[in-house]
Amino acid sequence: MEPALLINTLMILTLLVILTPILLPLLSKTMKTTPTLITHTTKTAFIISLAPMSLFMWTNTESITSYWELKFIMTFKIPLSFKFDQYSMMFFPIALLVTWSILQFATWYMHLEPHITKFFSYLSMFLIAMLTLTAANNMFLLFIGWEGVGIMSFMLIGWWYGRADANTAALQAVLYNRIGDIGLILTMAWLALTSNTWEMQTCPTHMQTLPLLGLILAATGKSAQFGLHPWLPAAMEGPTPVSALLHSSTMVVAGIFLLIRTHYMLETNQLALTLCLCLGALSTLFAATCALTQNDIKKIIAFSTSSQLGLMMVTIGLNLPQLAFLHISTHAFFKAMLFLCSGSIIHNLNGEQDIRKMGNLQKMLPTTTSCFTIGNLALMGTPFLAGFYSKDVIIENLNTSYLNTWALLLTLLATAFTATYSMRMTLMVQTGQTRTNPAIMMDENNPSITQPLTRLTLGSIMAGLLITSYITPTSISPMTMPTLTKTAAMTTTMMGLILALELSTLTHNFYHPKQTPYMNFSSSLGYFNPLTHRLNITKLLNNSQKIATHLVDLSWYKKMGPEGLTDFQLKLTKTSTILHTGLIKTYLTSFALSTLIILSTQ
Amino acid sequence: MMATAGLRRALWQRVAARLWAAPPGARAASGMSKDMLPGPYPRTPEERAAAAKKYNMRVEDYQPYPDDGFGYGDYPMLPNKSHHERDPWYQWDQQDLRHNWGEPMHWDFDMYIRNRVDTSPTPVPWHIMRKHFLIFLGTMLVMFAVGEIYPSYRPVGPKQYPFNDLYLERGGDPNKDPPVVIHYEL
Repeated sequence: MEPALLINTLMILTLLVILTPILLPLLSKTMKTTPTLITHTTKTAFIISLAPMSLFMWTNTESITSYWELKFIMTFKIPLSFKFDQYSMMFFPIALLVTWSILQFATWYMHLEPHITKFFSYLSMFLIAMLTLTAANNMFLLFIGWEGVGIMSFMLIGWWYGRADANTAALQAVLYNRIGDIGLILTMAWLALTSNTWEMQTCPTHMQTLPLLGLILAATGKSAQFGLHPWLPAAMEGPTPVSALLHSSTMVVAGIFLLIRTHYMLETNQLALTLCLCLGALSTLFAATCALTQNDIKKIIAFSTSSQLGLMMVTIGLNLPQLAFLHISTHAFFKAMLFLCSGSIIHNLNGEQDIRKMGNLQKMLPTTTSCFTIGNLALMGTPFLAGFYSKDVIIENLNTSYLNTWALLLTLLATAFTATYSMRMTLMVQTGQTRTNPAIMMDENNPSITQPLTRLTLGSIMAGLLITSYITPTSISPMTMPTLTKTAAMTTTMMGLILALELSTLTHNFYHPKQTPYMNFSSSLGYFNPLTHRLNITKLLNNSQKIATHLVDLSWYKKMGPEGLTDFQLKLTKTSTILHTGLIKTYLTSFALSTLIILSTQ
Repeated sequence: MMATAGLRRALWQRVAARLWAAPPGARAASGMSKDMLPGPYPRTPEERAAAAKKYNMRVEDYQPYPDDGFGYGDYPMLPNKSHHERDPWYQWDQQDLRHNWGEPMHWDFDMYIRNRVDTSPTPVPWHIMRKHFLIFLGTMLVMFAVGEIYPSYRPVGPKQYPFNDLYLERGGDPNKDPPVVIHYEL
């Protein structure tokens, strides 16, 4: 049978299958959604999406399909055109597997939640928006998916809306994403004006720098690069399944995915590529520095995500979009797993998220902590686990390319820091003496916990090997380099590990810990949050208050309204009164005289 | 009969009193009389005292906005402190807003709620924060510029051409001896 037809049908079927739990209850009176139904639907969709992926792997068939157009008026329409290429066909099964595992985990994690069905519906809607974004062939459909994931992120971060901190975090996420959206809309407007199209195929390859800057701004906002990054650590206010799905595997990679989709436009502009490289390097180092001194387990993993997103941006800057996508795929597995493990730990410790109050969990939660270890090893780039196939290749390409030296150094330093904070987290959570509350019931024997974790562990181990074995790279990685360059990634990781082990022995020495400027800088997240938020928001809100209330009200009352009219009238009257000299007799005499003169000359 | 009716009324009053959302003494905003609304700038001490009583404040604490034509009237000028700085453990009447019933609200109160501006003191002083952040950012930008000027690349050499630097292909005289070009050292 025609592979392109099969691919089209099966991919659309996947999307429709995920839509059913949301649409069918609206159409039927008796059908009700349940969390297990949504979980099983996602599992079904995953299995269906494996077929197009296998078809692509074996036949290398890609397809671009234009379905339906939702025509509102003659010139405004929403074209449903999908691009089922390497990126979307690989991303669908990965995203669906990760989502299935997270949904199964959430049936345990959120089981005491009264509105659990609404929670699952929100996650489901997010998944639909994300898959739309991934499969979109034109910028408008991508924008619909983009905004969709942004809104669902807002609703899910602020899930516990009674908590003011969660509301602030959700608002932060939406505002920072909006700033990024300015860039995306700028690019879309530019494309519409110059090339009259939003389709990916017909977009020009040689673009001016301004629309490319718009795309980079959009990626900075969505993927939390330095400058628009504070929302990602703040997003940890949401429930752990939300953090696992949105803010580690799927939503935050949307920005990088946009740059991958539009890399034809980027690769001819060296300035844009250098900007991506430097921005990514700065983001990865900054996030890794901040992660070193955090004590909340979810915040450490959030900064780890931010750092890996910076690494993906660096890969885009090296003009290697396929490698960036490989890193997205492998990162999804182990990062989601790290979040699920942390969720299991938090729930079993009855809400404790501080790693200083965890210890010796290796004995008490063996499955969770083993998966945690494997996830951390994959993150660090341990040879032949999933992270190795993407991360090591990125570092090799960095070392053998013509690029900014400082970007290279920062990325290598960030690789070392990755090992340091991962090791620190492992040591404090799993080893050492027990620092938890002794009266806690720990139970991880629930299949809703162990099955997702095991599935994602298998993915973390096998995914890198499987994807690199079956997907042909479009560009050849450098094959020959000196031994030092080849082992650079591993060497820096080992140095970071040794640093972490060395620092952990500091607790054995009895000395009073000092507060140094570097420690302050790192633990206050670079002072970025108070400096930008307080200054900008105070100024903005103050000025908007003054303009909206005082300026507008006063101008309407005083200048444009009644008092303004009064002043105007008074001024007119006062000037015209001077002209009235009141010399009536003189006027009459002049009238009479002029009339007499006219009459006498007749 | 009268006793049970009186008892029931007392019980209902207790229930009504327990409804914290509408404590006894609560009034709807539509039922305000003219003297409860904000008025013009108080000029005499008696007007100041009356305004302070109206806003439920002590006369010593009451400080109106300066009379510079911006239309604040007699509304009190409260300190610009956000609700982050209020005690989270004290049992406020409205715990999420950290506000007691009848407490005078800031003119810009919607700016100072917990979802907006935070004016609480930072662990590190502001000028040190600004200095360290700008040093970090400045160093990064300068080093990126240096990295652009001195990029990193694999060792490269100039391209070597065979046949004595393509002597014949470049239009050299075939009758003459070409200058010998050797690209190696022994």
